[in-house]
Parts: sequence; C-alpha cells; structure tokens
Amino acid sequence: MSAETVHTIIDDLGALLLFSMILIVMASQISRAIYAVAAQSLFIAIAGGVLAMFTGNVDLWVIAGVTLAVKAIMLPWVLHWVVRRMNVRREVEPVIPDAATIVLAVAVVVMSFDLSTSLGTVRQAITGNALPVGIALTVLGVLVMATRKTALTQMVGLFASENGIFFTAMAVTQGMPLIIEIGVSLDVILAALVMTILVLRVRSTVDADIADLDRLRG
Amino acid sequence: MGETLLWILPLIPTVTALLMLTTRDRRIISAIDVGGSAVLAVLTLVLASEVATGGPRVLGIFRLDDLGLVFLLLLVVLTLAVSIYTVGWFRQAVEVGNMKAESLRSYFALVHAFVATMVVTILADNLGVLWIAMEGTTITSAVLIGYHGHQHGLEAAWKYIIVTTIGISFGLFGTVLVYAAAADVMGGAGAMSWLAIMKIAPTLDPGIIRIGFIFVLVGYGAKAGLAPMHLWLPDAHSQAPTPVSALLSGILIKCALLAIIRFQTISAAACGSAFPTEALLVFGLISVVVATPFILVQHDIKRLLGYHSVEHVGIVALGLGFGGSVGTYGALLHVVNHGITKALAFFCAGAAIARYNSRDMRVIRGMFAVAPVAATLIMLAALSLAGTPPFSIFISELLVLRAGIGQGHWIAIAIFLAMVVVIFAGLLHHVGAMAFGGPTAAAGREGEAWSPLVGMLLLAAIMVVLGLTIPASFDGLLQRATEVVVG
Repeated sequence: MSAETVHTIIDDLGALLLFSMILIVMASQISRAIYAVAAQSLFIAIAGGVLAMFTGNVDLWVIAGVTLAVKAIMLPWVLHWVVRRMNVRREVEPVIPDAATIVLAVAVVVMSFDLSTSLGTVRQAITGNALPVGIALTVLGVLVMATRKTALTQMVGLFASENGIFFTAMAVTQGMPLIIEIGVSLDVILAALVMTILVLRVRSTVDADIADLDRLRG
Repeated sequence: MGETLLWILPLIPTVTALLMLTTRDRRIISAIDVGGSAVLAVLTLVLASEVATGGPRVLGIFRLDDLGLVFLLLLVVLTLAVSIYTVGWFRQAVEVGNMKAESLRSYFALVHAFVATMVVTILADNLGVLWIAMEGTTITSAVLIGYHGHQHGLEAAWKYIIVTTIGISFGLFGTVLVYAAAADVMGGAGAMSWLAIMKIAPTLDPGIIRIGFIFVLVGYGAKAGLAPMHLWLPDAHSQAPTPVSALLSGILIKCALLAIIRFQTISAAACGSAFPTEALLVFGLISVVVATPFILVQHDIKRLLGYHSVEHVGIVALGLGFGGSVGTYGALLHVVNHGITKALAFFCAGAAIARYNSRDMRVIRGMFAVAPVAATLIMLAALSLAGTPPFSIFISELLVLRAGIGQGHWIAIAIFLAMVVVIFAGLLHHVGAMAFGGPTAAAGREGEAWSPLVGMLLLAAIMVVLGLTIPASFDGLLQRATEVVVG
C-alpha cells in the first residue's frame, strides 16, 4: 500500500465517522444512537487494521482488536442490556431543538478543519485528516452529552467522544505505546461499569433517570 | 533504595486495600487503615530525604522530583489524618445508620484504592500513565461519593463522573497532541515521558502544543475544579462521606493541578511562558469571581467549603499565572496550605454535622458551648481560610499578590483583592454564627471523642506552624520545586 492509498482510506473512514456522529446527534431513539456508536467503533477498528498493515506496527493490530471487542461489541451490548433492563419508556430528550443542535454540529466540524489547516508541520505527524475528524468527534460527543437529558444518551456521547481521541491517537504516525492504549481501554470499561451501576441503582430506588435528578442546586 | 521505593509506594495503599477485604472486624479494619497510612507516610519521608540529598529518582514510568514531592507529602499527611479521623467518625456514622456495618470494609478498600491511584498520578513521569491514573481516581472516588446510597449522593456521583470524564477526555486529547508533536521530533519511543519531552521542548511545534495545552487545561481543569468546569465540585464535596470530602478537596484537585503544571512547563518551553500563564490567569480569575456569590448565600456548610475550594484553586491558578519564581513559589505553598486547612475545615464540619444531625448552618449554632475543641478548631480553620495573619494561607496569598504586583497585573489584582475581602466577610459571618451564641435544641451534649480530635489537631498543628515559620528544609523543597516549573 502506498502512503496516498492509506491517506485516502483514512480520509474515507473519517468521513464515515463524521456521518455516524451526525446520526448519533440526530438519533431520536436511544437504540439507534447505540447502533451508530457501535458502527463508529467498527470503523475505528478498521482504520487500526489499515494503519497496522501499512506501518507494519504489530501493536496497532492489538489495539484494533481491543477496539473491536470492547467498543464495537461489548459496550453497545451492555448499553442495550441496560435499555431492556430499565424498560426505557422515554427516548432521547433534547434540551435544545434538533435544528439548533445540527447547526452547532456543522459549526464544530467546520471549525475543526479550519483549526487544523492552520497547523503546519504537525500535519506530517498525523496521517490524513485524522486530526480535524478527531477534534470534531471529541467536541460533538460533548455536545451530545450537554444537550440530552437521559443518562444512556450521555454515555453514548462519552463513548463517541473517546472514539475521536482513539482515531487521532491511531493516526499519529509513530503510533501510541500499546500499554497506554490498553490502560485507556481498561479505564473506559471501568467507567462504563460504574456508570451502569449508578444508573441502575437510581432506577431501582426512585424510578427516575439519574441524569434527570436536579435536587442539588445553588 | 530510592528507586525501589518508587515501586513500593503505590503498592502500600493497594495492599492495604486488599487486606481490608480479608476481615469484617471493625477494630482490625481501623488498625489496618491507620497502619497502612502510617507506613505510607514513613516511606515517603525516607524517599523525601533521598530526593533532597540525591536529586530526582527515576525508575521506568515513575519519577519523583521536588515538584512531585510537594504534592506527595501533602497526600500522605492528609491520608494519615483522614485515617485517624475516620476511626471515630465511622463508629458514629454506623450508630446513626449513615454507614452500613456490613459494607464498611469495601468503603475502606475503596479509600485506599483511591489513595493508590493518586500516588501513581503524582509519581507518573509518563503522561499516558498520568492520564490513566487520573481516570482511576475518578472511578474510585465516584463510587465513594455515592457511597451513602441515597438519591442526592447518587446524583452528585453521576454529575461528578460525567463532568470529570468528559473533562479528562479532553486531557487525553491534549496528551495525544503533545505526544504527536514530540514523536515527530524524537521518534515514538519515550515520547510520552515528561522528562524526555522537556529535553526537546524548545524544538516542538508551537502551534500544536498550544492547542494541546488548551485541551489539557480545560480537561484537567475540570478535575481541578476551575470555573466554569467546576459544576461537579460543590455537589460531590457536599454529598461525599466527610473523610472523602477532605481527600477530594485537600489533595485530589491538587493532583489535577500538578498535571496542569507538568503541561505548563512543556508549553512554556515550546511557545514561550506568556501563553500558558495568560490562560491560567483567565481561568484563575473566573474561578475566584464565580465562587464568591455562592459562598455568600450558602446554608449547607459542606457546599460552602466546596465553593470555597473553587476560589482557592483559582488563587493557585492566579499564582501560576502571575508566574515568575515568587508567583510559582506562592502557588505551590498555597497548594499545601489550602490542602491542610481545607481538610481540617471538613473534619470540623463533619464533627458539627454529626453533633447537630444537620448540615444547615442555621441549625448549627453555639458550638463553643457543646464542643469547645472542635469549635476552636473550626474558628482557627475559618480564620486561616479567610486569609488572616498569622495563618499559613495569609502568607501564600500575599506571595501570589506580590507576584501579581511585580508583573503589573493591576486589573487582576483589583478583582482578586475585592473578592478576597468579600469572601473574608462572608466566611467569618457564617462560621462566627456557628461557633458563638446559645446552642440550638438539636445540639448533641455528649463529650468529644478522641479519635476525630487527634486527626484534627494534627492538621491544626501543621497549619499553625506553617503560618509562623516555614522550616528551612521545606523552604528548600519549595525553592527547588519552583525551579522545576520556572526553569
């Protein structure tokens, strides 16, 4: 594979990532958002595989495998399990109108690309357009968390946000140290576990969505 | 010897945490708790003397320099004080049903796991390990914040884990960007080590480091409680069990500050010191201003202390932002002073809440009549927190102020002084009403138990000593730590 081919593939995957991110932002049902974030993780695993083939870096294969197993299969499965377990009646509840969210999302994407074209030499250190896509995904994940009131949607936003970081980290030409990636994945799993426990505990004691509680003020 | 200790240090709280799980006996649990913390403190002192004589110690991903040592010493002192305080605190908490006796050991195991992750945060030389340990502190402490299991605690825990996890996602992104810039210069191997990055920092691309530092500042700033990312802090500090509140406010938010300082030094070397210090100055000012009105109108004593921590983190950021050796020295001294004093204040608040069975400051009245020692200590802590001489915080605030005057930041100083004066009045009004006057009917009349008092007196002694004089060895440590930051 030539360097141009890899650039093209990474850019194509970046476009798919942004598309799935828009699906998450738009999703009116929580299960669709979960499928979209699973697809997003799958694209990132593919990107890891492509980069591994190109650079011959064995670590990247491991990272791609872990991403596939944890973020594309395990976490979405856990989220679906919680959805069934909680018997979610309400779906995604936006705080601001969908149209406004979309406008914000587009602005974020444009600004990310604008920001990273202003960087000179760094563009060699990170393959293709992985940097602007990564920044856009990270910020859009936070946007999803900020504009939705349900706990599960906030978790989906968090995973999408972390996908953006993983994508950029993979595309750093020299690759990230394997042990760091494993540690980060482990932390993500543990955080998801604790969040799930919190959601279920609140559901079992007061029959409310944890993100909806707002007694603590002032 | 020193190198081996670097590995042993994080293992001590880990082993202590595991030992907790082997027993159900309350006395044994308390003994392990205090014992583990004491061993950690002693080994840290041994390591401290080695670093003082032989310079920084490095072993693999761990490295302890004078800067880290300042934070590590604060951590072990607070851990020891918290352990002593907890002996009596949890006995009372079990009696009133705030803590369930059967789940006690998991509480203690989590506290020590929390301490272990903070030790790794401080010792980490590898910026990736720093991030992993920081997320580890979030996970362990989130469970502790929701430990009482009631609705408010769970709400606070959720807000905490969501806000700080988003926050440190940004921190990770910043770390990746700094790594990309460093790997571009020196190749992948070792490009995550802070020491290695510092050696080549002047040659790094300033554009990407600038973006990376902003991501890190916002990210770890959320964890440090800098406004406007502080929204989790008052909730978490007020809902957590009191010993955990003391650890959160005393040392956890300082660990995040240490992470920011590490990136500040990289950024200062790569794009000049003006950029990171101005960014810190802005966040510091916002924090001081935002916290003030909430301190004035607060009725919940632990929320009051939480908002007050936002103000003081802001002051540390201001000290770093004014920069120079005076400002940085003042900021580091303030980290220690605030850590000790705020933990003491939380201890006193915990004792008051247990006695009056309420956290509303309108109910807690006339503490002097029913608990003279705790009342004296809370007055001392409040005077110190408000910045009156001869207490320690007065000195560090004065140093920060002097640095600001030296740099000619007149507007920042005017805002800072105005807020400090307002908070001074507000805080002393609140605490004065609690300590003096006739006790309300809700006040418990039983005598004061020794164990919380010993923990409180330990911190009070350090607070008073640091106000009167800074011991030569500690002064030397702070000087060398300042050199690490300023260069």
